[in-house]
Amino acid sequence: MKTAATLTVNGAAYPVELDPHLSLLDAVRDLIGLTGSKEGCDDSECGACMMLLDGKPVNSCSYLALQADGRDVTTVEGLAEGDELTPLQRALLEHGGVQCGFCTPGMLISATALLREHPDPSEEDVRIALSGNLCRCTGYDGIVRAVRSAARSSA
Amino acid sequence: MAVGTSGGKTFIRPDGREKVTGAGRYTADLASTGMAHAAFRYADHPHARILRIDTTKARALPGVVAVVTQGDLPDVRFGGLVQDRTLFAKDVVRFEGEIVAGVAALTETAAAEAARLIEVEYEPLPVLTDFVAAMDADAPLVHSDWSSYERDEQMVADGNTISYSTIVKGDANAAMARADVVVKSRYESDASQGVPIEPRAVLAEWRGDEVTIWSSTQVPYAARSGVAQTLQIPEANVRVVVPLLGGGFGAKCDLHFEAQVAALARAARRPVRLVFSRQEEFRAIAQRREGIVMEFETGAMRDGRLVARRARLVLDKGAYCGEGGFLGQMAAMHACGPYVIEAISVESFLNYSNRQPSGSVRAPTAPQVCWGLEQHMDEVARELGLDPVELRRRTLIERGAEGPTRQVFDEIGVKQTLERAVEMIRYDRDLPEDEAIGVAVGWWPSGPAPSGAYIHLNGDGSGTIVTGAQENGSGAVMAMPTFVGEELGMEPESFTLLYQDTAAANWDMGSCGSQTTFNSGRAILAAAADVRGQLLDAAAAELEVDREDLELAEGQVRVKGSPDRSVSIADIAGAGTIHGKGSGDVPEVPAGDTGGCVGRLGSETFAAPQLITQAAHVKVDRETGVVRVLKVAAAHDSGVILNRMGADGQVTGGVVMGLGLALSEGTVFDDDGRQRNPHLLDYKLVTCSDAPEIEIDWVQIPTENAGPRGSKGVGEPPQVPTAAAIANAVAKVLGRRVRQLPMTPERVWAASAEVGS
Amino acid sequence: MTRTFTTAATVEDAIEALGSGARPIAGGTDLVVGARQGKASLPEAIVAIDRIASLGGIVEGEDGLRLGALVTHEEIVANDVVRARFTALADASAIVGSHATRAHGTIGGNVMNASPAMDTGGPLLCFDASARIRSTWGEREVPLDQLWTGPGTTAVDPRELLVGIDVPAPIPATGSSYVRLEYRRQMEIAVVGVTAVVRLDGGSIADARVAITALAPTIRRVPDAEAVLIGSDGAADGIAAAARATAAGSSPIDDVRGSAAYRAAMAEVIAGRAISAALARARGEHVEIPASSSTYAGLGGARA
Repeated sequence: MKTAATLTVNGAAYPVELDPHLSLLDAVRDLIGLTGSKEGCDDSECGACMMLLDGKPVNSCSYLALQADGRDVTTVEGLAEGDELTPLQRALLEHGGVQCGFCTPGMLISATALLREHPDPSEEDVRIALSGNLCRCTGYDGIVRAVRSAARSSA
Repeated sequence: MAVGTSGGKTFIRPDGREKVTGAGRYTADLASTGMAHAAFRYADHPHARILRIDTTKARALPGVVAVVTQGDLPDVRFGGLVQDRTLFAKDVVRFEGEIVAGVAALTETAAAEAARLIEVEYEPLPVLTDFVAAMDADAPLVHSDWSSYERDEQMVADGNTISYSTIVKGDANAAMARADVVVKSRYESDASQGVPIEPRAVLAEWRGDEVTIWSSTQVPYAARSGVAQTLQIPEANVRVVVPLLGGGFGAKCDLHFEAQVAALARAARRPVRLVFSRQEEFRAIAQRREGIVMEFETGAMRDGRLVARRARLVLDKGAYCGEGGFLGQMAAMHACGPYVIEAISVESFLNYSNRQPSGSVRAPTAPQVCWGLEQHMDEVARELGLDPVELRRRTLIERGAEGPTRQVFDEIGVKQTLERAVEMIRYDRDLPEDEAIGVAVGWWPSGPAPSGAYIHLNGDGSGTIVTGAQENGSGAVMAMPTFVGEELGMEPESFTLLYQDTAAANWDMGSCGSQTTFNSGRAILAAAADVRGQLLDAAAAELEVDREDLELAEGQVRVKGSPDRSVSIADIAGAGTIHGKGSGDVPEVPAGDTGGCVGRLGSETFAAPQLITQAAHVKVDRETGVVRVLKVAAAHDSGVILNRMGADGQVTGGVVMGLGLALSEGTVFDDDGRQRNPHLLDYKLVTCSDAPEIEIDWVQIPTENAGPRGSKGVGEPPQVPTAAAIANAVAKVLGRRVRQLPMTPERVWAASAEVGS
Repeated sequence: MTRTFTTAATVEDAIEALGSGARPIAGGTDLVVGARQGKASLPEAIVAIDRIASLGGIVEGEDGLRLGALVTHEEIVANDVVRARFTALADASAIVGSHATRAHGTIGGNVMNASPAMDTGGPLLCFDASARIRSTWGEREVPLDQLWTGPGTTAVDPRELLVGIDVPAPIPATGSSYVRLEYRRQMEIAVVGVTAVVRLDGGSIADARVAITALAPTIRRVPDAEAVLIGSDGAADGIAAAARATAAGSSPIDDVRGSAAYRAAMAEVIAGRAISAALARARGEHVEIPASSSTYAGLGGARA
């Protein structure tokens, strides 16, 4: 039985009918049409699906959409203000932190959550905070440098 | 990736913005009106004869719009050097991921349920999982009637051995007999996986007799010809488009499910999309890294000269050939390595088994064989009483040296890479007793192949680069506007790319074999040269000067020394006639003395070889066997580097992938050939917190008979010696060798404690 | 049966839903992942308990800690009292999954999942924690050693709800640690884990607790190891003997994560490290949280 709910994604409220078993990821991708968040695994290991739920990173593939009813969801599409990239998005491009880009949405979510809590993280802080996001292309090097550079530029 | 241009400005990769904003579309992000969802029914046994398939219940399920089995399709086998597979199983299933039938339904749930409802009756056959015992006289045959298959004449069809290759130089037995020392070693590598973070997806849609297929493939043209061949339609009727590709690492090479989905879409009379789960991405693809059993024997003189090498390699091909028929011979070349060896006799067996097929994964065969060989070289050094670096100094190839088949090398920088790596890691310093530095050297050929490109200048002076090149994420294609801009005196931002669409551009090998800059780049630069010529001609006529007196800069064609006498490129382009095309000349593969070699499949000599030395600084917890890699120094000769940030990104990514191969990434099979860890919790990739510091340097020697501007390939070599360097460091700490890859904590602990092997 | 989903506002709502057959979900980090991997399908009727305000929060009292069922691992690690007095629990919560798992995964979910590999189980067991269980017929306390009956099974009736975990205050001069064998520094599941809690009186160990994780069908204490420690002076040979007793008290399995032989050997190694870390803390010495990384011969944060 589908349940009426309101998903608030990137500040916009979307009235939706949700199956109890539907994941937040599927709801956002298939019902709301925001496909920036990706599905890369089935055991919360890769982090490609990460969103912010009330400001905290969540593996949306393993979170029921109905549990997000009325909560504040942020996806990669909600990070930039209009056409203006965030310092983090720009730094990721400038430091070689983006290759295939499939992990990028989740990386940005994790890094955004980190920088909100730790405006000037150490390399170790960054590496621990990004460990739930697997990247196969970059060896993480450019990503870590980008996060630290973005932190310094916004400090 | 940003690409530094000559002007010192930063050029942001054209696909960068869409990737960081989430706007970019990957194949699984696409949908089409009326689209149905595909699901496969996989084999219920790893080896069995199919007695009966009954699809009645599946067809009756509400929402099901198509069910397809091999009986509905042309009776055609496909495969590279051996055509041994059908799209859906015909008569026999040979591994757990074999597809018995495909279903399309209006929802994913209905598709999955329908696949489950297909009734298949089997007669189980003996399962062959031991790819070495596959050569025993009484071993069950994976392909009992394969003498009837189409195959390349160099492929030996003998029992379960799909290919037998040798590399032979001189008389290895005689040379071994006169060596001062002889060292023998045995190493074994488990299977592993490419694991792109994007699981594959395919969307097929027909219009009349033509089909468009959006696919997460590295090789759209190979996919196109595979679809055409297996569905028996002209290539012109098949268009393969690759949306953004979420990584590949070889795992997305070859024909992979495009034809099955196209067949489902034709039967359903509506678009059909397939999206793999991570478990399917592990189990069903025909591209994993092969397991290899390696035996090396080297004869050396006291001064370090290597006089003889014998080696015997056995590789696990899994159930089908795919594009990987060449793996055995490639492995044989890596058992020689970039060393001067007077006499060589290497033999390599590529054997079928009832396991997932193996195929090209980033530098196929090289990381495993390098891991074995480079440990063996350290063992030789120890026997000689030489430092391992010193032995390599004395024996690595250089200009004028002879390769394994007497290929004579041009200027080559392998010795320089050794010195740079050793310098960057500070090889000679004292370390705590649980730390050590290991060094390893590897090589990898460049892959000359045809390609073609067009460059159109539009009426406003902007340009469109049309290329068959495939962007796997590395940035190789994304950097092309900078090269074209430099050639034409224009800003790279003036160009857009029309790429990875088989209807738009000429055939290209795709994102494999480290060939994008090498071949596609050559073609694009040739097309740019064509445009340049046309611009010079037009400007010469307009300005009434000789072509030779003109230069292209700042968007103008101008007279050298008189920059005010100029015509803008936009004005010339306004006539709408500037269209360049180019392919360039494919570099020749070097000759060698290959007459004594059996099973010659194209890897007997290495064109424009890329050379790599990596040094790894590790710390070993002897009690647990847990190894941490603190730093890797990587020095590479890939010729002239055209895009430093992109090239560095290949090294950092390759080293970390190599670290995973070294320590944690292994596919574990059960006695029935089923994978026991087809998920990321137990197939462990390196996380951000495990990745080491990586220092990189490039030995840039302009290379003749190679890629554009003296370049060579870049993408595959970074992974070649990483596991080997780590292994040599671990062995230094332990005083013992870990002889099975991956060197998991348990295996390191066992070696340390002398428990088990 | 049709799928239903209700969101409970109060414990009473939740218990009513459980009474009619619904299963509770909080952070979803175990339940949904298990379903996606095909281990067990999601329940047809689900009651979300994550918005029940009374199930949140850590209450620090004279007599110990009261952890609401919805307290997340992130909250546990950040709590100063937990870090100072129940350090082993902080060690455990600090290394559960990834930061996203720690942000949403709850102590209640962890305990009720009853996995023999759960990280927080050993520390809770050694601290004599008990589960507060509510149902229509009242509230009861179940000591954790009676809660887990096997891998994935508990002594709790499906109609009952875990509302909190009570942890009595340890006597001063107690040190504790939880150490897990880690193949990677993050994103691990326990292959071998050992909790140690020791109390010093003068120079000798007055009381000791040792529990094993992923080494038996349920997380359990090892009395033989505890007996070796009690009364000893905490010297190396005593620790080694207790570590051997820990290994002897384990019954590890062979699986894709490690052989039984390796696990047994690691039980001894990790027990030694856990006991040493607990002793160090009992003596007032500083050992980083999580102890797992700092005890790997300094293999943890090698990078500044």
